[in-house]
Amino acid sequence: MSAAGGGPGRGGDRRGPYSLRAADRSVKLAAVLFLLVLGYAYIFAFLMVRHYAGTTPKDVAATYVPTKVEASALPTESKSTTRALDLGAMQEEHHTVDTQLLVQDSHIHIMIYAIVAALLTLIILGLDWSPPWRDLMIVCAFGTGALDFAGQWLMKAGLGGFAWLTIASGWGMTAVYVVVLAGTLRAVTAKKRDETPIPERTNP
Amino acid sequence: MKTTIRRRKIVRAAGALAAAAVAAVVLGGAADHITPTVVIEKQADVIRSTLPDARQFFLKTVKIGRRDFARIERNADFEPEDPKVKFYYGQGASGDPVGVVLFPQVNTQHGPFEVGLSIGPDGTVQAVEPTKATVETRSWVEKAVGTGFLDDLHGLTPGEEPTEALQRLRSAGIGKMPTYAGVQLVTAVEHGLALYRVLYADGGQG
Repeated sequence: MSAAGGGPGRGGDRRGPYSLRAADRSVKLAAVLFLLVLGYAYIFAFLMVRHYAGTTPKDVAATYVPTKVEASALPTESKSTTRALDLGAMQEEHHTVDTQLLVQDSHIHIMIYAIVAALLTLIILGLDWSPPWRDLMIVCAFGTGALDFAGQWLMKAGLGGFAWLTIASGWGMTAVYVVVLAGTLRAVTAKKRDETPIPERTNP
Repeated sequence: MKTTIRRRKIVRAAGALAAAAVAAVVLGGAADHITPTVVIEKQADVIRSTLPDARQFFLKTVKIGRRDFARIERNADFEPEDPKVKFYYGQGASGDPVGVVLFPQVNTQHGPFEVGLSIGPDGTVQAVEPTKATVETRSWVEKAVGTGFLDDLHGLTPGEEPTEALQRLRSAGIGKMPTYAGVQLVTAVEHGLALYRVLYADGGQG
């Protein structure tokens, strides 16, 4: 692994704990393969979300905002409506996530989001980015996952408008992934001549 | 000297990536545990198959009022989570009622268990079909259904204890989680019968 001595210096101190650009080929390979397989998983994650929750604020809110109402909020008498039904055109009920299922989803997903964010951080640390940009990306990597579930719990509390927060967090996660992937591909394909020479250390 | 430092850094980076790989394996294992809902049988298929004599189908949607809510709570000791309950009923060629189907659902920490509950014109259970579970619980449901305990629910009336079905389920030796899943299906049937009695058989329109 090469020096911590930063990558191409377009202003600012770009010193990170290591430089992916100058890393061993196997390290680069592992970073790229991790990101590609993660992207592969994200495609299915998107398809699953689209299938079960939808991608519009209305659909997402319908998945999480509870239908349960307090008995005191109900009208005194029940009311009913009847209509003819065409079984061929009958739609399945919209998938909903109740509180118990959201507890289960949260304990698994939030942990997974944290692990993915940590793995992305390992790569980010070697991308020779300026410290403010690097820190921003690390915060975004961890923050989007946390905000995703914050949105879901706020919807579960009856605040359907927070569907936007969950949707924006999902896209935020994708944006972080794309930026890290682009940075990684740039770093691993950089020509050797771009590398900064390793500074010699003087031993006592 | 330069080479030694370089090697040390490679080893350090390789160690970090090995840790990342281990984390990815853990991640993969955890990801497998995510339990999306699966449709075991479509609601339309259950309605069609359990009301074979129906020539026309209707949907009656009841919005529960306070009085009926209290009656359901009193009769079956549960509070409906959804204030709207849908009853799918069929009429024969002569316009006679041939039965009604509803889809009560029990929500647990393992996800929802939903059944298609078909009730005949005499007010007794005609058929019970599991319709919704999760990736995790589907195999438990199938194992429980394999004991034939759902057959013991035929003829059950609202308020009647499903003793026989529960006995068969608990003595089948199918394991803890399949038994748990079976109990959830029985609970869904009990809830469905309570909804049927208050909101459908007794009018429920207020």
